[in-house]
Amino acid sequence: MATRAAPPPACKPAPVALPLPPEVTAVHGAPAPCGRPRRPGRATHQRNLSLDFRSMGIVLPPVQHSSLRRTHHRNRSLDSVLQEIPELEAAEETALKPALSCPRVRRAGPPPPPPVAAAAAPRLGGEDAASLGSTDSGISSDGSERDFRGDAEHAATGAAAAMASSPARSAIDSDRPPAGAPVTGAASVTVTAGTPVTGAGSVTVTAAPVTAAAPVTPVTVMAAGDAKPGTQKSWLLRLFESKLFDMSIAVNYLFNSKEPGVQTYIVNRMFSFSEEDTDFFLPQLVNMYIQMPDVAEVLHPYLVHRCRKSVNFSLHTARLLDAYSSDANLSNKKKPLGTRLRNLILSDELRPKGATAAERRLAVPPARPGEQTLSPLRRTHQRSRSDATASYSKGHQRTGSTGSMRCYLGDIGSGRAFDSGCSCYDTAQGKCNDLLGRRVECVCGAPRLRPQLEFIGALMSIGQRLGAMPTREAKTTQLLNELSLLNLNLPARVWLPLYSTGHHVVRVPAQAAAVLNSKDKAPYMLYPCLPQDKAPYMLYSLPQDKAPYMLYPLSAAGQGSLHADKAPYMLYVEVVEVDGPETAPVPAKCINTLRHTRSEESLETAAAAAPAAPALPTTFSLYGNMDAENADCWSQEDDDISQQYWQLRRPRLERERDTISQMSLESADSREPVLIAPGDIRRRLADSLAAPRSTFARDPEDPSAAVLKEPWAEKERRIRASSPYGHLAGWRLLPVIVKCGDDLRQELLAYQLLETLDRLWKLERVPLWVRPYRIVVLSADSGLIEPVVNTVSLHQVKKNSRMSLKEYFLQEFGDVTTEAFLTAQRNFVQSCAAYCIVCYLLQVKDRHNGNILLDSAGHLIHIDFGFMLSTSPKNLGFEASPFKLTPEFVEVMGGLGSDMFEYFKILMLQGLVAARKHHEKLLTLVEIMRSGSQLPCFRSGAATVQFLRNRFHMNMTEEQLQYLVDSMVESSIHSLTTKLYDGFQYFTNGIL
Amino acid sequence: MASRLRPGSQKKQIKEKIVQIYESFFKGEDVAAGNANFWDELFLLRPRVSVLESELARLSSEQLSALKVPLNQLFARCVDVVREEHLLRAAHALQTLSGLVAGVCRQPRPGPQSDAVDLLVGLDAAEREMGRLCGRCAELLAGLYPETLRSLVLDALLAVAAASEDINRNGLLEYLMINSSLFEPVIQLLSHGATRSVHGHKCVLLLTLLVNYRKSEPANPYVVKLSILDDELALNGYSQVITAALSDFNWKYAAQTCDSQSQGWLSSLTSMVGNMFVADELATRSESIKANHGVLVALYEAVHLNRNFIATLTQASTDASSQPPSPQSTLDREQAPAPPAAGQPDPLGAPVNLLVAFLQYCSIVMQDTKSDAATNNVRQCFIVLTCVSEDQYCNSLMHDPNLVFVVRLHRLPMRHRKATDRPAHPQPLATALLDLTVEFIMSHLMKRFPLDLYLQCVGIVHRVLCYQKRCRVRLGYHWRELWSALMSLLKFIVSNENAVVKRNNIFELAILVVNIFNLFITYGDTFLPTPTSYDELYYELIRMHQVFSNLYSMSLRYSNEGEHREAAMRLTNNLVNIRAICNHFSPKIEAWSQANNQTSLTEDQVLDVVRSNYESLTLKLQESLDQYERYAESPRYSSFFTAVVRSVIRDTWSGLNFDQVDHASLLNQTSAIS
Repeated sequence: MATRAAPPPACKPAPVALPLPPEVTAVHGAPAPCGRPRRPGRATHQRNLSLDFRSMGIVLPPVQHSSLRRTHHRNRSLDSVLQEIPELEAAEETALKPALSCPRVRRAGPPPPPPVAAAAAPRLGGEDAASLGSTDSGISSDGSERDFRGDAEHAATGAAAAMASSPARSAIDSDRPPAGAPVTGAASVTVTAGTPVTGAGSVTVTAAPVTAAAPVTPVTVMAAGDAKPGTQKSWLLRLFESKLFDMSIAVNYLFNSKEPGVQTYIVNRMFSFSEEDTDFFLPQLVNMYIQMPDVAEVLHPYLVHRCRKSVNFSLHTARLLDAYSSDANLSNKKKPLGTRLRNLILSDELRPKGATAAERRLAVPPARPGEQTLSPLRRTHQRSRSDATASYSKGHQRTGSTGSMRCYLGDIGSGRAFDSGCSCYDTAQGKCNDLLGRRVECVCGAPRLRPQLEFIGALMSIGQRLGAMPTREAKTTQLLNELSLLNLNLPARVWLPLYSTGHHVVRVPAQAAAVLNSKDKAPYMLYPCLPQDKAPYMLYSLPQDKAPYMLYPLSAAGQGSLHADKAPYMLYVEVVEVDGPETAPVPAKCINTLRHTRSEESLETAAAAAPAAPALPTTFSLYGNMDAENADCWSQEDDDISQQYWQLRRPRLERERDTISQMSLESADSREPVLIAPGDIRRRLADSLAAPRSTFARDPEDPSAAVLKEPWAEKERRIRASSPYGHLAGWRLLPVIVKCGDDLRQELLAYQLLETLDRLWKLERVPLWVRPYRIVVLSADSGLIEPVVNTVSLHQVKKNSRMSLKEYFLQEFGDVTTEAFLTAQRNFVQSCAAYCIVCYLLQVKDRHNGNILLDSAGHLIHIDFGFMLSTSPKNLGFEASPFKLTPEFVEVMGGLGSDMFEYFKILMLQGLVAARKHHEKLLTLVEIMRSGSQLPCFRSGAATVQFLRNRFHMNMTEEQLQYLVDSMVESSIHSLTTKLYDGFQYFTNGIL
Repeated sequence: MASRLRPGSQKKQIKEKIVQIYESFFKGEDVAAGNANFWDELFLLRPRVSVLESELARLSSEQLSALKVPLNQLFARCVDVVREEHLLRAAHALQTLSGLVAGVCRQPRPGPQSDAVDLLVGLDAAEREMGRLCGRCAELLAGLYPETLRSLVLDALLAVAAASEDINRNGLLEYLMINSSLFEPVIQLLSHGATRSVHGHKCVLLLTLLVNYRKSEPANPYVVKLSILDDELALNGYSQVITAALSDFNWKYAAQTCDSQSQGWLSSLTSMVGNMFVADELATRSESIKANHGVLVALYEAVHLNRNFIATLTQASTDASSQPPSPQSTLDREQAPAPPAAGQPDPLGAPVNLLVAFLQYCSIVMQDTKSDAATNNVRQCFIVLTCVSEDQYCNSLMHDPNLVFVVRLHRLPMRHRKATDRPAHPQPLATALLDLTVEFIMSHLMKRFPLDLYLQCVGIVHRVLCYQKRCRVRLGYHWRELWSALMSLLKFIVSNENAVVKRNNIFELAILVVNIFNLFITYGDTFLPTPTSYDELYYELIRMHQVFSNLYSMSLRYSNEGEHREAAMRLTNNLVNIRAICNHFSPKIEAWSQANNQTSLTEDQVLDVVRSNYESLTLKLQESLDQYERYAESPRYSSFFTAVVRSVIRDTWSGLNFDQVDHASLLNQTSAIS
């Protein structure tokens, strides 16, 4: 086990180049600058010592010495420095390790007490190694042991080994040779970390250690060169330096470690992780930021750094901060932290460093006397806008350098609601840079986040207005209207946060949208336990009378309707892929290409037709007198169009059938009477209608069914053909479900867990198949969901095809012996096994057939994780079985005892074993989200995590586990409660 | 007259200074003589346009001709001042200009007419002065100027555009054609919600008038510009102005009828009393309909000229809730009920788009075809619908099963049915369009047979069917209603032969109707929703065979002699299939009923007979059933539109009131800026 955890030999030895005298003790009482022999000249201020950029030729902007503002200012300037030396980031990883070495020093026994620990938690006293081990300081045996245990399992999947690891570890701990004083090579860094704490107060420390780290890097790297090679490192450091150290472990330690040094180290390491990796854990990071002030301090610089870089990240962070800090039980002390960061992000001050503050200030148009300085940013909310439309638009014309360009952000009727007014990317300079591959920077100071905020806000407000509509029909109509309005403002530099590929939204085809079945009828709907007086929040800033960037509570009317009826709806959004959506030029507006100008023709034809008319007999004849010119004029267009429609609307078979109209055209020339048989006509009519249809009939009660059933590729082709942007190269269609009035945070957690399971199964090469669908949480009660395309729910299958699942498989994929069926069956088994494990581990409930989808390849997909972990729809004893496995499912697999059914059980076992091996990753996700959370899935508190841990059955042998799987499958198939619940859903909700 | 011409001498009436200036001016005095700053000061005074107008109106054409030089001078001064930066004076100058134009051109004068251009501007200076004026107007409209000032600019332009009742003889407009720079700023105003809500109506009206000036000549730049306009926002704004006006009208109508219906049992009591006010009610209705004339022409021009406009037909209005009723209609109907505000449920359903509003409007308008004006109104509605139903793209919108809207068609109360508006549910717009035509066909079978309207109406049905046939769209429509309506139409023609045929050539119409049936018979497989509906078609034909045989004998009678010989002959030819069907199935049904010993057969039994006897029937293929003459404005409707534009101009005049300017806000705005 120890060998496993040991870092590769090539790993850098601990940097010890700056030996600190053993009597560092002085440092932790009060900063004793005189104790530092190397830089006696700078004795007065320790901070300057470590942040000595001047040696690197970086000139800091002058620091303002007002004590109130100091911290903030310093952060900014430091960050600006950070920005200018991005190439150092790569080196950071190694360079920052010194920060970690101090714990080791402390542990090693004869204490030079750790400066950092002392500064952060003086109560520890930090002398006694044993006491340190027992408390939950950074390297408490608890935290590290667990992780090492995970590693141990990686080597040997035995439970016994895991059990044994704990004593083994402690033994190793005590045996470890003392690393001794010389390891304190990190002196300059650690002292840096410590000093500001005592000097400038707790806030300062947030920025100091991290930002300090980067500039110091070269020094330490150099120092590392002549380090003593044989020095042993602490186990924790070795873990952190090992290949195994990934974001999951990082987050785990960030959560469990109370040691600022460790936390700081981890955050520094996060700079070097790939952005996707860290983004995956963003909900956890944000929750920690809100719940744990100490973590927030160290996390802050990282978040700020990322926010500067990306609009998307800014918005995600702001939304998550918003969503997770909205829980009622949050103490007042904690609240401001998250809110402050969110306000900082929304204030749009975190910009890329390209444009300095001074430049920006110049670019901002001079404020009108009557208005607040920042009013263009603050006047966001639509409600207030409608009240003051006239005055607003009048008072708002920009007169500054931007000329007559007015700011219409958020005004849906204006056609430029999502246009920030920034033209930097469209200027000649911008285009040139773009062509050269250079990053284009916006210098005009146009709002960076607003367009995106407005776009999402528009989608949300559509959802709210839909909720106010009484009937489904009215909702459908309303949705159509709203979307056609939205289209006026597109294309724009906005994108769907759901999808990570860079794109611009160009159009929302209104006809393809659908109102989804809302859940409000579900009898067991549990509303998140928000107190009633709490208004639903939107991510909006407020008109000037309230504090800026406050969350905006909806008005009473909106609030009522919001809770009265939820109206999720589904959109298909046409986008054009671009690199770097924040800077790429937006595609130009196109109007449907079908339309051409008519003026010239009509003038010509009018002139042409005028002499022709008198020549006709007195009666005007409707037939056969189209003069040649006229016919030419129109037939061309009509042919084009009708061609297009034929291709769209009828299958190829039918195309040959249109013989009669052919004949009729031909017969115009020949005067022979053609005979037709009405019997044939009727037969053709019957045939064409009887032709098998791939889609369900359109059902006014459930318009989404037909919309969803249409094969994705077909829909994409259809919409592309009718879209004026269809010809663009990067054109894509993206589906999205907009949910308003539902808490998606639990879904987000479910997504993370599913995604983690998917990854680890892939890693362990278990052929289990899950389909995690992406979630974007917009606030505590709204969000976007990625629809799983090419799927129908089992309910819809049953309702529309009226046959059993097996029969449906036979109909869709062919006979049991065909390749297609066998493939579909294998897909079904693999996905079913995967979701059975998921349902068991996460205790996913409310598994009625409306929540289980079947995709076109035969995969089973579970959706709606509203009831999991420790909640279920009222504990009536329904759904007592471990997971939903009906005899119907087994029938599709080939029946009890069949090969595929056995394969199913084997898969389940393999999947469980694999999940057990990596259970720490799953537990970490859940545990962090549990802290301070009001989500219903954490109702049973800390026990939730314990129960989840128990379900991994760490103490079982594989045989025992296999027995467990068998018995679970058995009990699920014969579960009475599953049947009962289905029956119940049928009677109450009509779900088959 | 004479006494009035002696100003103020006896009455000792205190007059405003400006009025005194006007009077002395029209007496031919040199008003500027004693005062070097006269012209500067004149435009600081608040003009009294109505006095100016009436002073001018009093003058005979000779007197007017005599005043040509001072008039020209005044006009030039006005233009000068309008071009100045002093906005208040510019506003006054614009008002004065409008008054001048109105006073000179509006009043019909006996005697030889002198050219308005010459009188006002002077022929030699006209091009220069008008160019300067137009340029400045465009500037004022486009720039950041107070809304009141813009409103005055639009008023002045409207006064110029409507200077002559016959728009083609309006010499002043020629200069607006040369300076077509006005188009863009007007479109600009339409694009933005805020300006649209204030000026939208005037903008649309102005564009309509400009487009109608010698529209058949290719020289009109506004026709070209409007037809190639592809700014979605502007088009959307244009359509919203129209939507607002139409739905405003619809709403008022609905509120009126709702009132009368909501009385319940009282209504029977009051119906008698109510009858006394019918005339009154009709009067208000026609008045408001007339007020919509301009909007209707605007809609027509957009649909007819601009293909991009079609796309906005189904787009919802952005600011229906916040938009005040169009200024024109508020001027006309001061006692308008409050627009649907918060709390009160909107009787028309909240979201409205142009096509929905227009269809509803049509259903109201076509209830009244008594007067010529009303008939013209219906005709114009049908022309628009014809254009719409000819358009491929619009048809595809109307037939899209995903684009469903609630259209509340109003139905006229008639003796044989109650006037209940059907409970509306969302449906494709083509369904509503067909319902509308069915309703028209059924409700206008009267002695004063509106043949022209019928031709248009049935033509619309034909166009929609042609589209369905061509594109194989199966609209889930209850075709039976259409069939029975068309059959009742034929029946009416046959039974009222004497009354109707004498005055009209009804054969055209009959041919059209018969051909629609032929379309169903021949191409039913391409667009009927179910096989049963094809059977039902035969059932209806057989059931009404008497009508067709009567029609056949009538056409035979006329095909030998008379002016309608040719048409009657074609009708006989076109009836051949229908007669074959009747002759084929009638004996079969008879035989069946005898065999089964039943005198009266149920529908299902007949359908069974029909189904089992298809095979033994052959029909002749009719030619070019799906061809129709495309709509062309000239020459068929040229004179009609001339008349319509004439009435639009009259409406414009009555809507313009140059004195009714919020002077306080004008002062406020102009002084704040300058």
